[in-house]
Parts: sequence; structure tokens; C-alpha cells
Amino acid sequence: MSGCALNEKEFFSCCQLLLQQSEHLRDGWSWEAVQGSEEGYLRKTVLRSVLADCYDAQKQKETASDSVSPVSAHPIQELQQQERTQPVVATRFHSDGIIGNDGDEDDAVCVLSEGSSHVLQYEYHILYSCSYSAPVLYFRAFTLEGRSLTLEDVWSSVHPNFRHCLQNSPLTAITQQEHPLLGQPFFMLHPCRTEEFMRPVLQEAQEQPRPVNYVLLWLSVVGPVVGLDVPLKYCTQLHPSSLQRSASDLMSSTVETGVRRFARKTCK
Amino acid sequence: MSDTAESPTETQKEETQPPSDDSTTNDEKKKIDVLLKAVGDTPIMKTKKWAVDRGRTVQSLSQFISRFLKLDANEQLFIYVNQSFAPSPDQEVGVLFDCFGSDGKLVLHYCKSQAWG
Repeated sequence: MSGCALNEKEFFSCCQLLLQQSEHLRDGWSWEAVQGSEEGYLRKTVLRSVLADCYDAQKQKETASDSVSPVSAHPIQELQQQERTQPVVATRFHSDGIIGNDGDEDDAVCVLSEGSSHVLQYEYHILYSCSYSAPVLYFRAFTLEGRSLTLEDVWSSVHPNFRHCLQNSPLTAITQQEHPLLGQPFFMLHPCRTEEFMRPVLQEAQEQPRPVNYVLLWLSVVGPVVGLDVPLKYCTQLHPSSLQRSASDLMSSTVETGVRRFARKTCK
Repeated sequence: MSDTAESPTETQKEETQPPSDDSTTNDEKKKIDVLLKAVGDTPIMKTKKWAVDRGRTVQSLSQFISRFLKLDANEQLFIYVNQSFAPSPDQEVGVLFDCFGSDGKLVLHYCKSQAWG
């Protein structure tokens, strides 16, 4: 099946471009190479302060609104208080608001009072999937003490805009997988539909033609789904009206190569 | 400006906007002109030009378009700027207009997809 697929070489090029922009913007991405080869992945760590609230899935449908911000890298976001129908399952930590271990609970979890806040460390990896010829987003989250979060906790970082659709297919959208290179458990945003949602936009861009960084475009779409912010500046740097001409010129010349490669492919 | 329709109405939370029939009110109300273009198989909106409050978020606009197009619950709508980037759902359209607007309007592409699972 032909389509707007991404081969590994292109993945590498797109990642390097993204990396250059990231360094310019101080957005924190780094390239982790595998055994000195071109194979590798992009990596970024984000500290996030969140309210200790575990969302009940059904509640989100009617309460998602512009004013509700999920976890972000900014200081504590005010979240709508949700009526908890089940105990909050979270990891233990030492900060204000902790109630402490309930005797009936597993030793590794505790019940958190609503309104308490804590800092989490999110780690995002962008790998290449040969099976799907697409980038794949892996991520995991820890407390500062090193306890990993559960999938249930992670749901709270999914932007309300996407929660509804994702919940319709929770088993396939965000799954727990072994990291292909590190062999450790990560959450993964399943790539089976990536080409499907990338194709229309890529085709449209090719008809222009307009330079597009596949990985950046993909990341801007999937990032917010898992609480990862992709600053608008990644795009404004490339805009002709941008004041940062030097960065713009650099991007245009190198991305054009990628555009020509895409243009040669048949996108049906 | 005869093509410009009234501002998109929000959910029941926001009061219905009166029709903006006068271009001079745009500045006072701080609205920007948005041109919505469909991508791929996505249905084309009959009304493509909208006057949108600057403070409106991408998510809000996305919800509006989804309702307007009567998308299924499992269909996700994506909005793109510059045909190369999906702005954050919390991004304000006013900021997008400042960065990418030309000829007095912001062109946004939208695309529906069953992107998950």
C-alpha cells in the first residue's frame, strides 16, 4: 500500500532538523544515538507540577472546556474538582497534602487529598517504527522519588480535546510497551493510524509545494495528546514573515531536500 | 465583507454572539477573520469565513467545526496552520493570526480522522 510513509533516513533528517530548532529554542530535545550509528531516538524530559486528581473517564465528556487545563509545565493549573468515584491511585511522595498510607492499600500507593500538588517527571522518546514507517511516541512518568506512574494517572495528562476520542479506543491508543531500545516499560501512542492522519496534510502541502518536517508536523499533532507542548515557535521560525531570517533560511534550504523526496513519492 | 458570517457560537456556556454585520466592530470586539479550508476527505463547510474572537482557543474552534460538520464521536478533528503544523489546542487564534495571518485573514486547514485505534 503506497502512502505518505517515512523511511528511516528521512526520519533521521527530520529529527536532526527538529533538534537544531530545539537547540535554538532551548526546548530540551536531545538525540540518543545507538552504538554510534545513525539509529537513535529523540528524547526530552519535562518536569510538571500537577494537582493530585485522578479523572474518572466518563466525567470528562461533559466537563472538558477551554478553562480546564490539564497538566502543564507551568505552575499549578487549576483543575475542575471531579467527584471521585474510585480511590485515587498514585505513588507515594513527600509533599504537602499527602494523607499517608492507608492500611488497606498496597504499600506503593496512597490516597491523595484533592487539591494537593506534586511534581512529576515526564520523559518523551521519539523512535522510528519500521513496521509502520512512521515515528512513534514513547513516554513514561515518575515522581521525583523515582516511582513510575500508572496508565490511569497518565490519562490525566491527556488533553481534554482528545480524551473523548481516545477513550473510545483506550486499549489501542495508549498502551504499555517495552521500549525497543532500552527494554524498559514505557507508554506508547500507537502508530497504526499515523499515516492515515498525516497523509491528507502532506498531500496538500506537496501540491503547493510547501516544506514540511514530517516529524515536527506529527509531533505537533500527537504531543498535546500526551501532555507534551510543542511551541508555536517551531513553526514561526519557518514562516517567511519571521524576523529570524537566518534560522528561516537555514531551515528552508535543508527542508527543501526533504520536500523533494516526499514529492517524488506517490501519495494515493 | 459580505461573505463573513457571524461569529461561531460556542457551547451553552457562552452566550450567543450577535451577527457581526459591520466590519468596524471587529476591532472593538477584537475579532480576527479566519478562513477555514478542508483537507482530504473532510467535508467542506458551507460558510468558510468566520469572524472569531482573538481569545478563542484552537480547541474551541475545533469543537465548533466538529459540531458544525456533525462529526461522529470517534472522529477527531485536527487543525493546521501554515499547512505544516498543528497548534496546541490551548493556543489562541489571535496569536496565530499575528504569526501567520496575511491579507487580513488567518487561513486554517482542518482535517478529520479516526486517528486513534
